[in-house]
Amino acid sequence: MGRYIGKRILTGALTVLAAIVLSFLLIHLAPGDPASILSGMDSPSPEMEEALRVKYGLDQPLLSQLWTYLKNLAQGDLGESISNSRPVAELIAERLGPTLLLSLTTAVLSLVLGTALGIYCARRAGSKLDAAMNGVSYLFDSMPGFWLGMMLILIFASSLKILPTAGMVDLRGGYTGFAHYMDVLKHLVLPGLTLTLISTPYFFRIARSSVIQVMSEDFITTLRATGMSESRIFNKYVFKNAILPTVTVFGITLAYIFTGVAVIEIVFSWPGMGSFMLKAIGNRDYPLLMGIYLILSISVAVCMIVVDVIYAFIDPRIRYS
Amino acid sequence: MPILEVRNLSVTYTTKNRRIAAVQGVSLEIEERDAVGIVGESGSGKSTLAMAMLRLLPKNGAEVGGEVLLNGTDLLALPEDKLSKLRWKELAVVFQKSMNSLSPVHRIGAQMADVYRLHESSASKREAKRRIVELLEMVNLPERVYKLYPHELSGGMMQRVAIALSLMHHPRLLILDEATTALDVVTQGQILEEMMELERKLGITRLMITHDMSVVATSCNKVVVMYAGQVVEAGLVKDVLTKPAHPYTQGLLRSIPSFDGEKSNIRGIPGSIPALDVPLAGCAFAERCEFAADSCRTSKPQLAELPDRRQVACHLRGGEIHAQ
Amino acid sequence: MGRTNVMKRALSAINGNIQLKIGTFLIALLVMVALLAPLLATHDPYVLGDELTAPPGAEHLLGTDGLGRDVYSMLVYGARTSLLIGVVAAVISGVIGTLLGGIAGFYRGSVDRTLTEVNNIFLIMPTFFLILLVVAMFGSSMLNVMLIIGLTSWVGNARLMRAQAMSLRERTFVLGAVAIGESKRQILFKHIIPNGIFPIVANTTMNISGAILTEASLSFLGLGDPNVISWGQIVFNGRSYLTSGWWISTFSGLTIVVTVLAFYMIGDGLNRVLSPKLRNNN
Repeated sequence: MGRYIGKRILTGALTVLAAIVLSFLLIHLAPGDPASILSGMDSPSPEMEEALRVKYGLDQPLLSQLWTYLKNLAQGDLGESISNSRPVAELIAERLGPTLLLSLTTAVLSLVLGTALGIYCARRAGSKLDAAMNGVSYLFDSMPGFWLGMMLILIFASSLKILPTAGMVDLRGGYTGFAHYMDVLKHLVLPGLTLTLISTPYFFRIARSSVIQVMSEDFITTLRATGMSESRIFNKYVFKNAILPTVTVFGITLAYIFTGVAVIEIVFSWPGMGSFMLKAIGNRDYPLLMGIYLILSISVAVCMIVVDVIYAFIDPRIRYS
Repeated sequence: MPILEVRNLSVTYTTKNRRIAAVQGVSLEIEERDAVGIVGESGSGKSTLAMAMLRLLPKNGAEVGGEVLLNGTDLLALPEDKLSKLRWKELAVVFQKSMNSLSPVHRIGAQMADVYRLHESSASKREAKRRIVELLEMVNLPERVYKLYPHELSGGMMQRVAIALSLMHHPRLLILDEATTALDVVTQGQILEEMMELERKLGITRLMITHDMSVVATSCNKVVVMYAGQVVEAGLVKDVLTKPAHPYTQGLLRSIPSFDGEKSNIRGIPGSIPALDVPLAGCAFAERCEFAADSCRTSKPQLAELPDRRQVACHLRGGEIHAQ
Repeated sequence: MGRTNVMKRALSAINGNIQLKIGTFLIALLVMVALLAPLLATHDPYVLGDELTAPPGAEHLLGTDGLGRDVYSMLVYGARTSLLIGVVAAVISGVIGTLLGGIAGFYRGSVDRTLTEVNNIFLIMPTFFLILLVVAMFGSSMLNVMLIIGLTSWVGNARLMRAQAMSLRERTFVLGAVAIGESKRQILFKHIIPNGIFPIVANTTMNISGAILTEASLSFLGLGDPNVISWGQIVFNGRSYLTSGWWISTFSGLTIVVTVLAFYMIGDGLNRVLSPKLRNNN
């Protein structure tokens, strides 16, 4: 088990390192010199250029610049935002909460919903219902998340006027305490629904194919031959065997969910990193964009490692090897 | 009365646009305490036959006809709940891929106890465990296997677990479907010997599905040779193996190694089993048979009995020719 | 023999598989639309008309956008952009994935271990943000968008090809080629890749869907090529007129959905036709 966990931690660390090296390379490969990219100006003032040169060692050889870059990051220094003139790390920290709220809510919801539906359909594999659900899963998979969000706004907010279309809180309401949470919850419905709808197909297909695969295993035939009832075979043996692959993919799905969240936040003006990102693109605020990319890479890597450690404890094949 | 009687059993696999006649009108009788080997190459329908007898074929996708009488009860006509009561008490099975015969994420002992309590619902946990440890010892496995997971055992050990599991409720009929195929020759020999020892002790009747003639030679007293879903020859091992009557049996016997464990002189039969989705007019083996005459391709040979009570389906070896 | 056989089977299967039939029909239609865009368009999609956000009607089939451009004509021309980006990006990822996967599966050893690790890294990495970063920094020309999507989406293909190569290298005709003395590179290009390519073809079809969706998302973030019309950009532009001109985003989004779905249908259909296991399940 130690070896397995070690390998997963290594993969996580390498992923973060790869993200860092890639963003470092981008600074140097992108059109324009590094100082202008880091300052966001075509020709930064001499003082600013000097400050950047000292901080990033821009006159040093490339490898030692990478080392300086890594050292800065290790100290939590993600650079300075161009448009806000504040440390990137600080800005991201302020915005991380709403993004995590939206991401984790939908990740858990789509995991539960997708897995439940997947199992339900797998037990009826080949039926009309199964075929229909499969079709629906591809349909939602084919929808750009932002478009689905806009359509939901059109239906639920503009026409029916039952749900708020933008933001996380009603600014005029000034709610506190319990009312505040209810207000957030109300604002969470539409973006959460959009994201759940586009993420569920993924879990649905994994759970479905996993159950179908387990049902065709030899040990299921053995259990049937012993006279065990189908329901007991399913509840006790198929379920545990089939659910494990779903756990493993949960970690890596987060990258996928974060992507969806970033775009959906913009549609619903959700005050998280996605909306922030749109502004950063408009302002050519590259340090901020890179910071967001790095923070997301680290978050996904950490989540993946946590999930895999949990998995290592659940699956006896890894626990006892 | 025979313990098991199969009458005119046929299995047809159905897909959207094809019907494959995997087993075609097979009949056989197994007497108490017999050890019968069913041999044939892959695609001969021998495993399908076993699965049909156990009623384990998928409900949609396979049509089963005929009768399977176990002590006079037709298993194919029995309602599901009555059949469940018979399962594992009257007939048990050991499958080929022993590594996959138990759930990989549940402990071996817990799974066996689960199966034990299916038919001994009043048994306490301790009783179940005692019985299982007893079974494990019977197949020469240490007690600690009870607490282990399948992946912690070797293939040979898992095969012993599967055999222990099958013997749990003293079944009268035991079906082994290629149960020793995946093992190395030494382990295979050991397990076969242990099996025969247990059979003598417990009075078990055994049906063994295999493609390996040497397994039949060392562990069975009767043999049924299948080809393309049909029985082509059946009789006592001592007769069939020394004086094979059907050209296919002769071919099979030529392809077993002459020395134990040394597979240097394999002479396979050229060609392969014909497609089973179109009915054949003549003998299914005709295309690969070195003796085939014109009549072999136009009319189907029926099983006929030779003087030594063996049955053969071949025009040239005493089978009768049926005009079309 | 094996390959032509598979091709023949695939062709006859297109007739037998309803999914494949619908998907192929829709894409054929779309390709026609893209090719005949100047004939099919009722207006010049780049010309700003006088009627702003005019609802669908006789003059403008699907209405006009906030700048008075004809939405129907924009969609017709947008097909060119989306198809081109989707196909080129998917082909790039197909070629890279086939080569890397083939090398890893055929040569094994440290090449394989390195590639497997790169594979794992790409599985976890939030690739979309990397694409976004590159497009933001290097400029949002169509070429950049196609390249970066292609360069970051080859992982699935590599995994498939690796598995194919690993099973093919044990097959008799490959072992025979080794015995005859063909070089490793010859074997890789003459036997392994041609015989193992089919799952990659199916997956590449699915990747076209992914690329079209990614391009749409980039356009929605304002990172589309400003010199061409793309469906994602029309949705993006329609966002400001969601209540006053619902048709702008609705129809352009629907076009994306149908196109992406059609490619999924072809990819999934091909997989089904080629994998007997899946075929039996349905």
